[in-house]
Amino acid sequence: MRIHVISRYVGLVLLFNAIFLFLSFLVSVFNSDAAVYPLLYSFLITLLFGIFPLIFVPKTDFISKEEGFFIVILAWLIICFFGILPFILWGGEFTFTNAWFESVSGYTTTGSSILTNIEVLPKGLLFWRSATHFIGGVGIIVFAMVVLPNLGHARFVLLRSELSPLAGSNFKFQTRKVLHILLYVYGGLTLAETIFLHIFGMSLFDALLHSFATIATGGFSTRNLSIAYYNSPAIETVIIIFMILSGMHFGLLFATITGLSFNIFKSSVVKYYVFAMMAGIIMVAANLYIKGFYSLPDSIRFSAFQVISLGTSTGFANADSANWTGFARMILIFFTLQCACAGSTSGGIKVDRIIIFIKSIKNQVLMLRHPRGVFTIKIDNNLIEDEIIRNALVFIVLYVLIVFLSALVLASFGVDSTTAISASAATMGNVGPGFGEVSSMANFSTIPDAGKWLLTANMLLGRLEIYGFISLFMLKTWR
Amino acid sequence: MGIRLKILAGFVILATMLLIAGLISIHELMNIGNYVQKLLDDNYKSIEATGTMLEALEREDSGILLLLMGNWEDGRKVIKEGDDLFKKGFLSAESNLTIPNEDKYVEKVSLDYDIYMKTWERPIVGTDKEGNFDWYYNKSHLAFLQVKKSVKQLMEINQETMYKTGSELKNRAQRAVMPGIVAIIGAVVFTALFSFFINHYFIRPLVQLTKGIEEYNSTGKELTIASETSDEMGRLINSIKNLLHRLTYK
Repeated sequence: MRIHVISRYVGLVLLFNAIFLFLSFLVSVFNSDAAVYPLLYSFLITLLFGIFPLIFVPKTDFISKEEGFFIVILAWLIICFFGILPFILWGGEFTFTNAWFESVSGYTTTGSSILTNIEVLPKGLLFWRSATHFIGGVGIIVFAMVVLPNLGHARFVLLRSELSPLAGSNFKFQTRKVLHILLYVYGGLTLAETIFLHIFGMSLFDALLHSFATIATGGFSTRNLSIAYYNSPAIETVIIIFMILSGMHFGLLFATITGLSFNIFKSSVVKYYVFAMMAGIIMVAANLYIKGFYSLPDSIRFSAFQVISLGTSTGFANADSANWTGFARMILIFFTLQCACAGSTSGGIKVDRIIIFIKSIKNQVLMLRHPRGVFTIKIDNNLIEDEIIRNALVFIVLYVLIVFLSALVLASFGVDSTTAISASAATMGNVGPGFGEVSSMANFSTIPDAGKWLLTANMLLGRLEIYGFISLFMLKTWR
Repeated sequence: MGIRLKILAGFVILATMLLIAGLISIHELMNIGNYVQKLLDDNYKSIEATGTMLEALEREDSGILLLLMGNWEDGRKVIKEGDDLFKKGFLSAESNLTIPNEDKYVEKVSLDYDIYMKTWERPIVGTDKEGNFDWYYNKSHLAFLQVKKSVKQLMEINQETMYKTGSELKNRAQRAVMPGIVAIIGAVVFTALFSFFINHYFIRPLVQLTKGIEEYNSTGKELTIASETSDEMGRLINSIKNLLHRLTYK
């Protein structure tokens, strides 16, 4: 393992962060707010740490798979540490633990917050908070790769380390093209949503920051009441559309836009994704209407937004779902666990694995009837390899186990069971809000500090899809 | 980039990090000083003025009670002193409008005080008001309570702002301290990184080079060190390798 080479790539990622810190600084200067110096100093520190390895370490084209893995994981951890700088330098509600929580939540696109009053934050700091979503959305490494010329094999290794293992197989393009697809789709969606939100009444600043959060499936809002603050069905509709799009495989979105034959309308994964959410919306809306919570239009409006928000791991809210019926909340918890498609910015178990899981159950039943039969799993006429099936099933088991264990530890800190389970699932799936004390209209400020650290570990585990994070602690086995 | 520049860059970065942290800390500390002054000038003065007004009102109320009991001389004297004190406090509050809408609160105090003043401006001793406690409770005392309430409201908004300024001071103090802490931690991490690079790119190749030359002297085995950089160290390694190669095949 060449530490100097790793430091060069991590430095590049820090430089990319420094660009956004500088933009936040400019926002702060433009608004003459109190975050000017915290952002300036954070920018300079990040810039200096980013530049330094580039001075010493010469450019290298080859990096091993292990080094690639290590660069990705280390980059995530280090940017999360550098991401806390503006928060702790500014002060307010940001203790070191709170700043770490907010930073990890931002980069991993979780969107959980410890802030009890978001609206007192200076605009520069609000911009930085949402920028962490934008940076984390597609992945620091992918961004760094796009701006780096002539990396050859190194680019391929880093890309494969960053993307979800399921998503990699779905991108039927060359590495360079995959990077461009991600950038075009990501940038295009962000721009389009900003324009629409602004047209429907949001200020340009709020529109841009909410777009950062939507496309990254993050969930940080500039308002204490999240999207409920605007009380606008038009704004909610725009966000719903972009949340659904952001939960789809970016390669398929690109294929659809460019008119390729295999697109979102032919993908069985997308069909299941949309069907599951439709079913969820109908069930929740019917339940809320029958139980007399809202009128029929409002039941549909609130259930559609909340189901899609959690089902895409975004975490915005237009109503307080904490008071909804147990049935409605159970459906929302299912979507908190499942989330959206691989190849998107979403977290969670992912629809692709759920489909593999369902087909595996079907095969197991068939095996009971025909013990000598050979049964395979196909998705869109593509044979899924046994290794992928095995990985998906182990992943689901491991995922649920970690959610349960972290909920158990949270409960041991004195957190009530509803809060513990939902907070654990919401952070593991990078969704954001849970139920109980951490519901869609509340925040994570009441969780004990040790619990916050545990939940940030969940966020990183979820973002790096468990295996990536665990690999960090198994370096010896790589040699 | 040459070795000299690389090492210089390391020290420049370290110095820049500490210098900026120092400058920001100094700036924030100066801000704290300004905030303390602001706290005293803007809020403390107003709170003190409202305190003076409240004390003056109490005196005036006592003066009215003295008049009610027929004690004209003492009553007028106490009221006069109270009125002077109130005006002094009011002038201080009026000249120190620093909070949004504070002027409206001051205006309200002025209006309520005018109403109250009318209750004791006209004679009390020797009129039907003397000994008339009904008049006192229904007219004078109510006006007194109203003006007292307005003064208290003025006091509260100043206290609230003072609390907010105090909280801001806490943040400012953190902003003054944190760059220093970040710079110290950053400097430690940076020094570790710097020494790692110095070791990897300069010291280790030098040690390997020395060992290689010693080995060449004793066994005649050629150097096998690879140069990773194109700086002076890289050129030195290549030059010595070439030299030894030429010596071997001379």
